[in-house]
Order: sequence, then C-alpha cells, then structure tokens
Amino acid sequence: MKRLLFQLSLVLVLVSLVVSGCAPAAAPATPAPAVENTVIVEVEKVVTATPAPVEEKAFRVALILPSTTKDSSFSQAMYDALVRLQEEMGKDKLEIAYSESMFKIPDAAAAIRDYASQGYNLVIAHGSQYGSSLAEIAPDFPTTAFAWGTTVNTFQSEGINNIFAYTGTSQFGGYVMGAVGAMLSKSKKVGICGPIETGDNRNYVKGVVQGVKDTNLGVTVTTIWTGSYSDVTAMATCAQTHIQDGADVLYGSSQSSTGAIAAAKENNVYWFGHQYDNIPLAPEVVVASQVYDFVPTLKDMIATIKAGVYGGKVYTLTLQNGGFEIRYNKNIEIPADVKAKADELLEKVKKGEIEIPLD
Amino acid sequence: MSKLLSNGQPQIGEVRAVGIVKRFPGVLANDHVDFDVKAGEIHALLGENGAGKSTLMRQLYGLYQPDEGKILIDGVEHRFHSPKDAIRAGIGMIHQHFMLVPELTVVENVALGLKSSRGFVLDLDVVEKRVCALAEQYGLKIDPKASVWQLAVGEQQRVEIIKALYRGAAVLILDEPTAVLTPQEVDDLFVTLRQMAAEGHALVFISHKLHEVLAISDRVTVLRDGRVVGKRPTQGATKEELAQMMVGRPVILQYDMPPLQCGDTLLKIEDLFVQGDRGVDAVAGLSLELHAGEILGLAGVSGNGQRELAQALTGLRPVRKGRVLLHDKDVTNASPSERMALGLSYIPEERMKEGAIRDFSVADNIILQDHHKPPYVRSIFFDFKAIKNDAKRLVEAFNVKTPTLDTPIKNLSGGNIQKLIMGRELWRRPSVLIAAQPTRGVDIGASEYIHQQLLGQRNGATTVESSVVQRRTPTQAGMEMREMLEGRREQCLATLLISEDLDEIRALSDRIAVIYEGKIVGIVDRNEATVEQLGLMMAGVRKEEALGLKKSGDHSEKEPS
Amino acid sequence: MGDLFTLPVLLGIIYSGIRFATPYLFAAIGETFSQRSGVLNLGVDGMMLMGAYSGFFVAVKTNNLWLGLLAAALTGGLMGLLMAVISVTFQATQGISGIGLHILGLGLSTLLFTTTMGGVGTIGGFPPVRIPLLGEIPYIGDIFFNHNILVYFAFLLVPVSNWILYKTTFGLQVRAVGQSPEAADTLGVSVKGIRYITVTLGGILAGIAGASISIALINVFQENITNGMGFIAVALVYFGAWRPTGVLFGSLLFSFVNALQQWVQLKGIPIPAGMAVMLPYILTIVVLAFSSRRISKPAALTKKFERGES
Ligand SMILES: Nc1ncnc2c1ncn2[C@@H]1O[C@H](COP(=O)(O)OP(=O)(O)O)[C@@H](O)[C@H]1O
Ligand SMILES: [Mg+2]
Repeated sequence: MKRLLFQLSLVLVLVSLVVSGCAPAAAPATPAPAVENTVIVEVEKVVTATPAPVEEKAFRVALILPSTTKDSSFSQAMYDALVRLQEEMGKDKLEIAYSESMFKIPDAAAAIRDYASQGYNLVIAHGSQYGSSLAEIAPDFPTTAFAWGTTVNTFQSEGINNIFAYTGTSQFGGYVMGAVGAMLSKSKKVGICGPIETGDNRNYVKGVVQGVKDTNLGVTVTTIWTGSYSDVTAMATCAQTHIQDGADVLYGSSQSSTGAIAAAKENNVYWFGHQYDNIPLAPEVVVASQVYDFVPTLKDMIATIKAGVYGGKVYTLTLQNGGFEIRYNKNIEIPADVKAKADELLEKVKKGEIEIPLD
Repeated sequence: MSKLLSNGQPQIGEVRAVGIVKRFPGVLANDHVDFDVKAGEIHALLGENGAGKSTLMRQLYGLYQPDEGKILIDGVEHRFHSPKDAIRAGIGMIHQHFMLVPELTVVENVALGLKSSRGFVLDLDVVEKRVCALAEQYGLKIDPKASVWQLAVGEQQRVEIIKALYRGAAVLILDEPTAVLTPQEVDDLFVTLRQMAAEGHALVFISHKLHEVLAISDRVTVLRDGRVVGKRPTQGATKEELAQMMVGRPVILQYDMPPLQCGDTLLKIEDLFVQGDRGVDAVAGLSLELHAGEILGLAGVSGNGQRELAQALTGLRPVRKGRVLLHDKDVTNASPSERMALGLSYIPEERMKEGAIRDFSVADNIILQDHHKPPYVRSIFFDFKAIKNDAKRLVEAFNVKTPTLDTPIKNLSGGNIQKLIMGRELWRRPSVLIAAQPTRGVDIGASEYIHQQLLGQRNGATTVESSVVQRRTPTQAGMEMREMLEGRREQCLATLLISEDLDEIRALSDRIAVIYEGKIVGIVDRNEATVEQLGLMMAGVRKEEALGLKKSGDHSEKEPS
Repeated sequence: MGDLFTLPVLLGIIYSGIRFATPYLFAAIGETFSQRSGVLNLGVDGMMLMGAYSGFFVAVKTNNLWLGLLAAALTGGLMGLLMAVISVTFQATQGISGIGLHILGLGLSTLLFTTTMGGVGTIGGFPPVRIPLLGEIPYIGDIFFNHNILVYFAFLLVPVSNWILYKTTFGLQVRAVGQSPEAADTLGVSVKGIRYITVTLGGILAGIAGASISIALINVFQENITNGMGFIAVALVYFGAWRPTGVLFGSLLFSFVNALQQWVQLKGIPIPAGMAVMLPYILTIVVLAFSSRRISKPAALTKKFERGES
C-alpha cells in the first residue's frame, strides 16, 4: 500500500515531465513557435528543436540559458539573435538547439557536455556562472567551440584554446539613459532596481548613476539590489519603495524586473530597461531600453570557427559595433531638447569622449 | 420499556458476542469467542498480554469488524462499522491508552465529535453544564476547564468515563483501567464502578491483575491465545486457579527472598538535581544508597522524576547539582561508557528508544555496546563468527524466542525484546544494575522469568534454578549461564528497580524507596508498609505519617492526609 | 543614518509591509489548517504557482479579475485535493509528496504559461479601495485603508480562521485530529475526512495567495514567479506556532523587515546589499531558534493514520 502511493506521486511527477518534455520535440525553432519546451529538474534538458534533414553540412549551435527564451531579458536576447541569424542564413545552414532554466550549474554542465559529445560546432553557455564548468569540459572536445559571457576570460592563459568570451560595455548606454531620465524627472529623484551587484548589471548601474549626476540638474539617484535574478516580488517592492521615496523615473534589469515594470506602470512613473526591449511590456511608461544585439557577434564567431579557430577571442558588444542599441518608445513623446541632448551624448559616447570608471 | 439510567439512557439488558473470530496477518487474535455482559454486573475479562482481550472489545466498540460471529444487543443483531455506530447503540469504551487529546480542555474533549446545539458553532457552555451534572451524579470530581495534559492520570480516567456517559453509554468497557493508577486511585475507580453497576449499567473490566479481578468483578472470563479457557462467577475463585488458567501452567506468585548477605555501598547518590525536558528540576535533592546484594525498589507514580533519575545515573542526562558515586568513584559527569566500564548496567524504560535499535538484528543488538572490542573485532574487522556464537549462547541462556539471529528485533514481542536486553546487560557481569520498568508491557510468563533473573542475580542463582532453567533441557549454554550466575554470588549485584507497578516492587525488593516530585519521601523495608501506606507515600505523604495511619488492609476506607 | 527614521520612511515601510504580507498570510494560514490536522504540505509553492498562473490567465482572457480569483481558488483546491489523495488516502510520505507537488506546480504552470500565453505580460490588477471614513484619516488612511481588496481579505482571514479553529465544531475536530487522531477516531470523527477538507482548503488559500501576486500585487506572471514564497509560508507556520495570530505576526515581521532592508539600501546606510537582503531570513531563523522551545507542534504532524495501527 505505502509503496503504491509513493509510486503514484512519482508517476505524477513523471507525467508532468513527459508532458512538458514531449510537447516541443518536433516543433521547429522558427520564430514564434506556439509550443515551447519547458523542462523540469533532473531530467535531460536537451531538446533538439530543429529537425535534422542535413544534406549539406549545417552549422550546429547549442545554447544553455539560465532563464527562458521568453524572459524578456538576457536569455531571450541571445535566443532571438540566433533565430534571426537562422532566418538570414537559412535553416539548412544553421541548426539551433537549446536548454533553458539551467539555473542549477550541475544541470548546465551536464547539458554542455551532452551537446559537445553530440557534435555541435558551437556550444554557448549564456551566463557568467558557467565559466568553471566550461574550463573543465572544453579540453575534452578540442574541435568543438565554446562561448560564454558576460566575461573577458577565454581561459587561453590556462592553455585552453576553444573558448570564446563575450562581454558588453553596458555602462555607456546606461549613461545616456541616465541623463535622459534625469532630464525627465520632475521630482528630481530617480531610482534603480538591480538584481545582483556584479558583471553586466553592475556596469550598467554605474553608467546610469554617472549619467544622472553628469547632468548637474540636482537629481538624486539611489540603487536597491534585490539579491536575486529571479525574485519578481522583490523587484516589485523595490520599485514601490523608490516610488514612495518620491522617484518618478526608474531603471532596472534582469528577468525579474517585470515586477518593477508592472509597479511602474501601475503608478505611472517612467521606466528604462536594459538587456531586452521592455517597451511591449508597458508601452505607457517604458521610455527606452538598451537592447543587446548578439547577431554581429554570432556572425563573426561562426566565421572564425569555420576558418578553423575554435576560441581565444573576446567579443565586446558596444554601441559602436552594433552590439547594443538604445531603442526609444515611439508612443512617449520626449521633449525635443532632451532628445537632442541624448543624441549628443550618444555621439560623445561613441567617440569615446566619456569615461566611466568601473571601480 | 426498560429503565432509564442516570445519564438519561435506556438500560441495556445484555450485550452478547457469539462465535467471534478475528484474524490479523499471522495472528488468530480471537478464535470463536463467546462473551456476554448483563445490566448491573461487572464482568472481568482476564488474560495475558496478547490474549486478544482488547481485540474482542474493539469489535464490540466498532473499531474492528469481526471476521466471523455476531454481536447481539438485547437479542437484536448489530453490525458496527465504526465507533459511531457502537456509541449510538449505547456502548462506551475506555481504552488501555487513554483516548484523550492532551492539548484540549476537559469540556472540549467531551464535545469532540458531537453535534453542537448551535450547528457549526461550538456550544461548550452547554456541554460544560451537562458534564458538571454527570460528574455530580456519578461522583466523578473534575475541573471541566482544565487542559487534559494538566490532569493526573486518575483524573484523566474520570474524563474518559464522563465522555462515555455523556455519549449515552449504558454498557461501559474498561480496557486495563488500573494499569496506570495509584492504589488510592484504583480504590476511587472501584467505588465509581460499583455505583455504576448498581445503577444498572453493564460493565466489562479488563485486567491481568488477579487481586483486582477478585475484588471488583461478579463474573470472570479468561482468554488465552484468543480462546475462552474459563468462565465462572468470581465468588469462590482463587488467584492460583485464575493464574493457571491465564498462563496455562502453574505460576509462582510469591518469591522467596533469602536474607541479604552482602552490604557494601556500591552506588551513592548525594543531593541530586536533574532537569527534566521542560527545564524544571525533575529530580530535586534526591539522596539514596544502594548496597551490594540488595534490590532496592523505587516506587512512585509515573512522572515524578524516575526517568530523569535513571538517565542521570547512566550518564544520558546531565546532572545540575549533587554527586553520584559508583564504587566510591565520582561519576557525576562521566560518560555512559566510563560508567559501563565501572560495572554499571542499564535496562532502560523505553526499550525501543534507549535499549535497542529497532531495525537491527538480534545479534547486532546484542553486541551494541561491545561491538568495538574483542572478541567481536579483530584488527578493524568484525568477527562475525564470534558475534554469532555469543549471540546464540545468550539467546539460549535467556530463553529469547526469535526465528533467527538475523531477525530485526522490531519483529519480536515485547517480552522477548526485554529478555534480550536483560540478558545482554547481565551477560556483561555488572556490579550495579539499574532496571527501569523491566516488565512494563511484558506478559506474566515473561515477567515471571525476568523477576526470577533479577532475584537470581541478587543472591546467587537459587531461584533461577527453580523455574525456567529447570524446565528447559540443560543445554551447554544453559549450564554456562548457571555457572555465570553462581559466580555472581560473591560479587553480589546491587539492583535499583524502578517501577510503577507496586506489586512488582513489593514482590522483589529488599527495601522500597518512594519517590515523589523528585525527592525520596521515605524508605521502608520489604514488609514494613501495606499497599495503602505505600500509596499514600506515592502521593507525597511522609513515611512517618503514612505508617502512623491505620495498618489494616481495608480497601474502602481512607484517612485524609 | 538618521535619514532612515523619518515619518515618510516609516509610513513606507508599514505600507509595503502590510501589502506584501498578503500572499504569505493566505498561504501560511491555509497551511496552518493543513498542519493543524496533521498534514505537512511542502507543496505550497507549487499550489501558489498554479493559482498565480490560472488567476492571471483567466483574468486576461475574460477581462474579469474575480473570475481569475475564482479560477485560482479552484486550481489551488484541486492541487490540494491531489495532495490529500496522495498523502491521506495513499499515505505517501508527506514530505516527499509535497516536494512532488511543488515540482508539478512549477513545471505545469510554466508549461501552461508558455503554451497559452507565450511571453511575459502585465495586467491591470485589483485596484486599491479606499475605505470610507477610515481611509480619510491622515497618514493612517493611506497606509492601512487604501489597499486592494485581497489585502483586506488576507487580514480578515486571521480572525475568521481563528474563530473557525477555536469556536466551531469543525475547528475542534481539526485540532483533535492533528494532536491525537486515534482519540478523534474513537469518538467517531472522520480523521481522513477532516484531513481532506483542511488540505484542500490549504490548496484553495494557496491558490488565492498565488493570484494575489499575479493579479493584485505585482500583476505579472512569469516562470516561477513565487520564487520560493511557498516555502517561506511553511516556515511561517512553524514560526507562528500553528496559530493564525502567530502567522500574522510572522508574516508582518517578515515583510516589514523586507521593506526595511530596501529602505536601508535606499538611504545609503553602509551595509552591504548582500547582507541587507538576507536580513528577513536571518531574523526568521533567529526568532525560530529562540521560540522553538515553547512551540507546541501538532503531535501527529507528518504521521500517517490508519485505524488500529497503534
Ligand atoms: N491491529 C493489529 N494488527 C495486527 N495484529 C494485532 C493488531 N491488534 C492486535 N494484534 C495482535 O492480536 C493479538 C491480540 O492482541 P490484543 O487484543 O491487543 O491482546 P490483549 O489486549 O489481550 O493484550 C496479539 O498477538 C496482537 O499482536
Ligand atoms: Mg490489551
């Protein structure tokens, strides 16, 4: 009897795994697939999204995502870029596979190794937490290329030659948007909601803070870190706290920032996003987003690999090289002088005339 | 129709169970049992542990359904699917383990499961009024607002009785109601039971204590191994006769106690203070001396510090203040193994928690303390042959009934587990033995065996010879055992027997110390005090006062203290 | 530093403390009923996720928040019922089946969300309702009497569940079943029946807790939006010593400290952000450690019940 029940609960869990695991198996990863793969714990999170009718050799890319392909954030930015690239190159030329919700590093490591042994040409571990796993796995697959970010470490100094690194200078877009926000603020207070004070997010926040200060309009800027990339509620309370404190312009990033965006929308204060286009989430209040564009980076990486070099190169995404773009919301009218000032600052940034110390 | 009882219920003339058969996996608990109880009588159901008494009654109360047979109430067949049905038919039962919710108040316990006069909302005030009325009518003193956990055991039992009466019980089944009571509380209970019977209630009284059965019942039915082996009016029955029916062979009810021969003080407790689980002192200023060769019985109502004392003596609980001397060495803060090395052995109260490991085999349990020493270990490996060998000898010597040495002990009966633990402890040749509740939950046969082992250790192996060892063919192990016990004669084991069973204490002890609220209220010699006087001391009356009172064995009269 | 102890900050802390105690209150009071009857349900987070999803989905599709709330309650109730079947009827180990329920809720809500809604979106949730008269009182009105309807419900739930537990026949049966099921059984109380009701009720309230996040407080749904709140709710039941008032105290303390640590950061008090965000958790553990001695846990918690097994 007691066995039975235990098995029953196991069966339940398994059913949910199967349900979620099976659904997308045959669905191609072309834009806007209605069916997504959701993978839950413990089981191989490897889903090949493209059928493999390969007459001529297709280039095969595998993607390990800490969040989901629909997170309106860092993970989706990479996934969308790959899909756009696939449209451009043709499905027979580029094959994509991905594993999402890899927030547990051992799961991610298992997936990385799996893809490598399945002969993928490029395995992208899209998170700065995956570095040590890569350094361990990459030497076992010398003709497979690996990439990870955001970081500048290719492990070449440790004798590993098949790892690419990518990073972004997100502080410069932050600087421009910081200035715009400061100019838009009527209460002379802006607030930032950051997830964890490290890497890309830290740089971005530094940029925003300096951007606000350099306007010299007497606008104060404060930052609250929630301590998590996934705590939506903490993001929401963070936005609320800033609003109670009188802020009327908010900034934030990570997949959990949806909570803050919703709060901004509810209280009708301006929002500036980062990493992915936040405008569709709240067209009423999102003024602009700094958006990653990984397409140029991916293009170059693939070309390099095809030329026989499997790593050792650091890609830096910048506003100049198209790795970043500041996207404005057409529904929100920005005063002409503000827009002019923003454009002027963008030019300055691109020319390298602005210094943002990161330490 | 029939007459109304004091609780407003119509009388039930007779409840009759006919040909009841009840099987559990591997056990035939009731084997074609016929039983009946009539209005106005107290019918005793006597039998050893496991005889099937509770099982039979649980079927009358709807907790189990019989596999065969039927239940008739005043000639009409009834089928009970749950206690609800039995309650509705006028049957109440007071279980061996009280079925009370300790955290709830008396009134809440009574109201539990009843319909409220206000529908969904509780009507505790209404219930309380009726509880008070019933308490008055039946002479059951109780504070309806007290939480049950605050009540003494006797009071809890009154709550159980009121609960049953409140639900309209005309028939009341009491499953071993005296097991946990002090002698005074037993007297009170008997008064209530007689009154109820006189009123016209029908009562079933379950017990394995012969003198109680003789004192209270009108008729006796004896169960053994699930079968009725005797049925007779109580008038004219003797203890010996009933005991023989119950056990199936003649039983020694009186032990001889050769006078003490040794006398050095082996264990000395000086002004000991030990904290209980709730942070207050459970042992508060206790002093005792234990001499070689004697059995010192520690009598007392449960919860007066016995458990904490035993644990402190064996090193399982820290001492707050005071000293413990073992062979004149201060062991107050010594670890259990240091004490063991000095010759202390312990038969714990909670066999399954402290004495043994449920899921370990018989053999593994035997070597529990000495598993790291030769002969069980050679270099770093177990010597399984040596282990098996010793285990086999011990199991034989102590008459432990087990299918194999590899059987997990959870599958053994309580009596056999206790024999195993006792054997293991005696095998270690201790000089001081702490035995806490050694026969609780153990049937008469095994109790008798354990008692004789304890007595045998006290002063050589004289009584062992007269009972069990004699009955068995003297195997080699048996002979060895005897030699070992003989060898003890010189060393004279000192035993502290902690027990809540006064009969046991009185049968075995040279001296009896009574503990109350963590202190010794007095020490009497074996025959110095009557049961009643001991009972008074167990309620905290000082020895001088208790002994100063009337020395007769009159049960019904009591002096206020 | 002195900047922190100003009236606006205080008001801010109280306001968000009250607001964000809401999901904890719903979930932890539901769990209180379940645990009081002897069933430890560790799947609260999974039930909340299903409630959050179904509430959000139905509210978006029907444009009716109340229908969303109803859907959340139903879904949560179904999850609770499932837990009851597994742990009460089939007597699976409660801890493990609860974890199973959490995994199921997490997986299923994500799957359903991505298949039925695609990507992250927001919704206009329950609007704040200013209580007449009381809401007009300066300061007080703003922080206590100007919340969305679910916040009021959550706080009303405390006296209501207190009343149910201590003043009704059902509550008496729940307490008895959790303390000594055998005793309750001998008095004709259906132990399993009571447990079915409380575990299902726990599910309903967890579902509502989830909806309070997705359609009243944050007004978004995305994968794992509760981020472990259900587990905090379980801890709060222990924290509150299995009493609704204790749970209220714990929920408020937890969300007050949570709000406080954000203000600490905002006011630039020099405590590392990492330390600040841990504050509520540290505090919870500290209080638990110091209060555990007087806590009277339902004696039959996590124990299976089968008649005659004693
Ligand atoms: N619920 C049960 N499941 C299996 N065996 C049981 C159960 N209840 C009692 N027994 C067995 O039935 C026999 C009779 O037990 P019981 O009626 O409790 O005896 P008594 O009350 O006379 O001591 C014993 O062997 C006991 O182990
Ligand atoms: Mg019995």
